[in-house]
Amino acid sequence: MATDMGTVSEDGLTYTFTLKDGLKNGDGSDVTATTYAAQLNRLLTIGSSCPNDVADTLAVPYVKTITAPDDKTIVFTLKVKIAYFRSLLATAPYVYADPKTFTADACNLFPSAPIYGTGAWFVSQYNADEQMVLEPNPNYTGDTPATTTKKIIVRFYSDPNTLALAVQSGEVDIAWRTLSADQITELEKVDGLKIGTVPGGKILFLTVNRTMAPTDDPNVAKAIASAIDRDEIADTVFGGKVTPLYSMVPPGFLGATDAFDKMYASPDLDKAKAYLEASGYSADKPLELKLWYPPEHYGATTAAWMEIIKKQLEATGEIKVDLQAQEWSTYIPALTQGQSYNVGVMGWFFDYPDTSNYTDPFVYNTGMGNNLTANSDANPNGVGFNDTAKQLVDLLSKADVELDDTKRVEEYQQAQDLMADLAGNIPLYFEAEHVIYRDNISGSADNANPDTLNIGANIVFNYSLITKK
Amino acid sequence: MPPITLLALIIGIPCLILLAYVFIRGSTGLRKYILTRIALTLPMVFILGSLVFFILRVLPGDPVSSALGPKGTPEMIASIRTQLGLNDPLIVQYGRYLGQMVTFKFGNSLVGGHRPIIDEMSERFPATLELVIPASILSLLIGIFGGTLAASKRKKFPDYFFRIYAVVIYSLPIFWLGLILQLVFGVKLGWLPISGRIDPIIGTTVKTYTNIYFIDSLITGNWKAFGSVCLHLILPTITLGLIQSGLFVRMTRANVIETLHTDYISAARARGIREKVLIYGHALNNAMIPVITIIGLQVAILLAGAVLTETVFSWPGMGSYLVERISARDYTAVQSVVTVFAMLVALISLAVDIIYSLVDPRVRY
Repeated sequence: MATDMGTVSEDGLTYTFTLKDGLKNGDGSDVTATTYAAQLNRLLTIGSSCPNDVADTLAVPYVKTITAPDDKTIVFTLKVKIAYFRSLLATAPYVYADPKTFTADACNLFPSAPIYGTGAWFVSQYNADEQMVLEPNPNYTGDTPATTTKKIIVRFYSDPNTLALAVQSGEVDIAWRTLSADQITELEKVDGLKIGTVPGGKILFLTVNRTMAPTDDPNVAKAIASAIDRDEIADTVFGGKVTPLYSMVPPGFLGATDAFDKMYASPDLDKAKAYLEASGYSADKPLELKLWYPPEHYGATTAAWMEIIKKQLEATGEIKVDLQAQEWSTYIPALTQGQSYNVGVMGWFFDYPDTSNYTDPFVYNTGMGNNLTANSDANPNGVGFNDTAKQLVDLLSKADVELDDTKRVEEYQQAQDLMADLAGNIPLYFEAEHVIYRDNISGSADNANPDTLNIGANIVFNYSLITKK
Repeated sequence: MPPITLLALIIGIPCLILLAYVFIRGSTGLRKYILTRIALTLPMVFILGSLVFFILRVLPGDPVSSALGPKGTPEMIASIRTQLGLNDPLIVQYGRYLGQMVTFKFGNSLVGGHRPIIDEMSERFPATLELVIPASILSLLIGIFGGTLAASKRKKFPDYFFRIYAVVIYSLPIFWLGLILQLVFGVKLGWLPISGRIDPIIGTTVKTYTNIYFIDSLITGNWKAFGSVCLHLILPTITLGLIQSGLFVRMTRANVIETLHTDYISAARARGIREKVLIYGHALNNAMIPVITIIGLQVAILLAGAVLTETVFSWPGMGSYLVERISARDYTAVQSVVTVFAMLVALISLAVDIIYSLVDPRVRY
């Protein structure tokens, strides 16, 4: 919607953008900065009567006011200085919503179709849990060329196995971001299907609870970090379809390193034993550890790779693992509130494409179960439970507001070393995203990545660029 | 008119006519019986709803944490719980729930877009009806035909075949049968669609009145859509219908055999009445009376079966809705679905009892 990346004030608290010409509402009327500001302000204020966790996460904590000095200029004044505000602007709460559909006073998260924005498509039909129909927006004046596709139908599948069969039988032309690595492996063998892979952003990791015995002992977390062989998980369970991960920040993000590999050279069973023995554990007096996971939430393969982790930990001869599965709605509060589980599995996909979204939520006092920080009135991000954690909180707080990317890279590299030392979260693997499509579907050769239907590293799927023969 | 209201009228008006007919023409005993049954249904639904309300809250897990996953901060969870009324005292929540049940408003969902449950059910319930009705018809057809044939050809091939069929089909896991049918007829042979209620593109042309696509496409003369709906119904209907048919085969067979040994059949046979007329004209009529009772009881099992069938075939009905919402601990949705199912089972049982009295004049209440 903006003509460029806008300007930021010297104190980093005010961002000013100019809107493009020709932006239209669904009824053909002009979109002005005033209507856009009114819609965004609605989102900031309606939360008290209308639960909207996306806005509560990505807009309310950061944005103080949104004003429109004239019809083309929109000004965001922030509550706190942050380096990644432009990344936040690309997320859902900041998307323009047609004021006739999303009226100012109504808590209407699922309005009836048609639903217009300023994008290339509008929602012409919406049947909840069944399908959504998109048609070209007649008022669209953006940069992407007009599409020849008349309708895009997005079907919703609650069971990935049924989706895989529907792809196989030809009922579905394109499947995107839902199928697991083992299903992709099977679909690769099917004639008439093509598979494109983009980096994605999904990571899986172990969360270690530092507030209860025996994981309150830092050596225990370090022993676990040393004993895990990520390559074995990636190869055995996923046939190489996932990438071993050695930092909470996945490859491709600003400042990503292999901090865990550097620190623990994992797998290194001797090192793991040394950590365990330093805390008094031995073959005769093994560490007894309960390892928790949700059997369905992260795919049907979870049980298989948890068994591998159990085997790897027990290969030290000084750890005895008790694997425990728990249904998601019981599992997640027990894990994140840090009261019940020693070690559990968690997955993460970024809310906004910035390194801070892979570090801050797991360090600051945000209830992710790692308990590296404690509540503090003076510091809303919490206070580290030891000197390393305190140092980490300070470093990330600095990186959050650093506008110079070179300095940010250094800060995040140091932060990843500290995170590896603390081992509050132990990264396991990084999962790419796959797009599976029939061979009569193609992307645009005029744009990058036609083999992935022009989906790039930003994971934006531009429907206007695909055609069906 | 909202589809759910229209649907309620379509189902409700014939029921009311039947009830009125029975009230006018039926005996005093039957009238008393119906009133007693209706009066008993209310406390039954109340007790069941209350049990579900309290059991859900005793279960571990939380709808807000479950929906937010690892992204939910304690502050955010607390704030959303307050907005949704989950931090209110239990007795206040219970009072609110009872009020919602009495007024049939059911409240709003605790997850996703927090939509009104009545809206979600009006989209889902017609899909379940569209699946359960043909599945019931199929199971009854197979059950009655197979059971009668087995009884009439006792200790011959049809008898052995249907006896084995009944046991095997009844013991098959429903999701397994669905998966095999999908693989064979959808993936390998490519004859039939394996998911959804209608072809996605054709689906955009259907004008909905009842949300039962079968009826909507029929009354609007959208034959392309009608054909697509019928094709999409085949595999889920066979899956659900076959599983249910096993019991009906066994019930019908046993009852027909028993009836064939009664004096009036022997007398009829002695008078030279043809065997086919004897079986289908005389024995089957009487053998059906206990089967009708079972049909009423099977409704609850059929709805349970629909849960798995809908999941396997990505059928957006009440069954898959219930599974999703139990996993998400969406208390209001689960309470509402269970209440509606309970009322449905109670009403169908009542209807079966009424039909029972009409079919068998000897029955007196």
